[in-house]
Amino acid sequence: MAVIPGSTELTAPYWEAAREGRLVVQQCQSCRQVWHPPLPSCPHCHSASLGWHGTTGAGTVYTYTIVRHPTHFAFAGKIPYVIALVELAEGPRLVTGITGCAPEDIRVGLPVRVVFREVADGVTLPYFEPSNG
Amino acid sequence: MIRREVAIVGIGQTTYAKALPSTAWQLAIEAVLAACADAGVDVADVDGMCRFSAPFEPVTEAMLVRALGIRELSWFSQAPHGGEALGAVVMHAAAAVRAGLASTVVVYRALSQSKGGRFGRADSRGPGGAGAGGANDPAASIVVPEQDNLSFAWPYGLMSPGQLFALWARRYAAVNGLTDEQLVQTLGTIAITQRAFANRNPAAMMRERKLDWEAYLAGRMISEPLRLFDLCLENDGACAFVITSAQRAVDLCDDPVYVLSATQTLAPYREPMGIYVPGDLLELFPPAAAERLFEQAGVTQADIDVAEFYDATSYMPLRSLESYGFAPDGEGWRYVLEHGTGPDSPLPVNTHGGHLSEAYLHGMNGILEAVRQLRGTSANQVQNAEVALVGAPAGSATILAR
Repeated sequence: MAVIPGSTELTAPYWEAAREGRLVVQQCQSCRQVWHPPLPSCPHCHSASLGWHGTTGAGTVYTYTIVRHPTHFAFAGKIPYVIALVELAEGPRLVTGITGCAPEDIRVGLPVRVVFREVADGVTLPYFEPSNG
Repeated sequence: MIRREVAIVGIGQTTYAKALPSTAWQLAIEAVLAACADAGVDVADVDGMCRFSAPFEPVTEAMLVRALGIRELSWFSQAPHGGEALGAVVMHAAAAVRAGLASTVVVYRALSQSKGGRFGRADSRGPGGAGAGGANDPAASIVVPEQDNLSFAWPYGLMSPGQLFALWARRYAAVNGLTDEQLVQTLGTIAITQRAFANRNPAAMMRERKLDWEAYLAGRMISEPLRLFDLCLENDGACAFVITSAQRAVDLCDDPVYVLSATQTLAPYREPMGIYVPGDLLELFPPAAAERLFEQAGVTQADIDVAEFYDATSYMPLRSLESYGFAPDGEGWRYVLEHGTGPDSPLPVNTHGGHLSEAYLHGMNGILEAVRQLRGTSANQVQNAEVALVGAPAGSATILAR
């Protein structure tokens, strides 16, 4: 059983990009600042002219937790699993999961890169795995 | 300025227990009546109410006005953000009294987690929760509607306050150079100290349950680095208090507890559990809020005799010691390891047992305990307590004094 993101007009492009294997963050077309999660106007210059910036998918683990006790039946079969806050090279942080290594090997500051996981038909979530230097 | 212009003149609470037969509505009625009786006011004369906004408070002021036969409320208000409402409800009520919009304001909080909406079980609230169905269909998907960025968190299994504060605690340890052992010692000291307070508090759910290091460490890991006893209780119960003008307070009772200051605060992503805080995640709390709290109260940290810190997890009192200026940033853990937070420490913390060991009432039971401390009636009385701070981890707080 998958828990999947619903979307709004504002957030749909993020998930559409993920489905195509791209990790994007919102970008102001006037002042070029980037941020995440999406907002209806630029928090820096208030421009409503916004677009999407394709990231390199590289980042570091800002913090993480290893969940050993599920709080939702949909995750009961998935423990232990890792929730992380990853800081992208471009600056914004996002909530994600870490895959591709033992949970015990994760550290704050670990370099990671994005991978894409199809969790349900037509639904892809960005995850991260160690980028091995 | 609120300083000493308004006072808390009555407190009331129900039994706290894992499951009570009463509904939240009945619990709220019981707590409000107890608070009014304690204040010596006729509940029919209550003319103002302030509460936590939805989805937190299940009992509306309309339900209480109806059930209690209150003649008329001339003012009522709500504060959002769950635990971050604890200072806000005091601030709203005090401001209303100061402005003459109401003279007798009741603030209340009722919880009935046994009947649904457990904070620690995401599947008892929100998407996929009770009534959503699909629990037995492995092919079904649960769609998380986008609201407040939950659609970016739930699909990864980030669903509970405990998990969120595990992220904070891990970051805290990394930034401040704590070993895993030092982090465990710090969090465990807070949890064990609060349990000892609860063991002496007849109202505490954990009054009979001792917690030593062996038992603490044996608690199962929930969301690393937080284990079972680092997380708050889930329960049923209600509490309430009555706020009125200082002038009226002295006619009503001999022991009014004055409000020196009360704060609420909001900056981008600094709402409770605002995981996307720009800059340093650990600065959930805008430092200006603490300065305002003390400046408006006209006291300093050295004047605070006892603190009741919001503690959905043991991490929160730790960080609150720093945020409210009792220990330098990043040094709270050393402070806890050196001085502790117990009865003989420079600042006894959560003398009722807190959410970890008395009961979870969204910070409101901390306000009631502060009132008892200032009246001199706490089960864990701090000698000559004159000034108390009740605070949440993102900056909503109140300073009270006798």
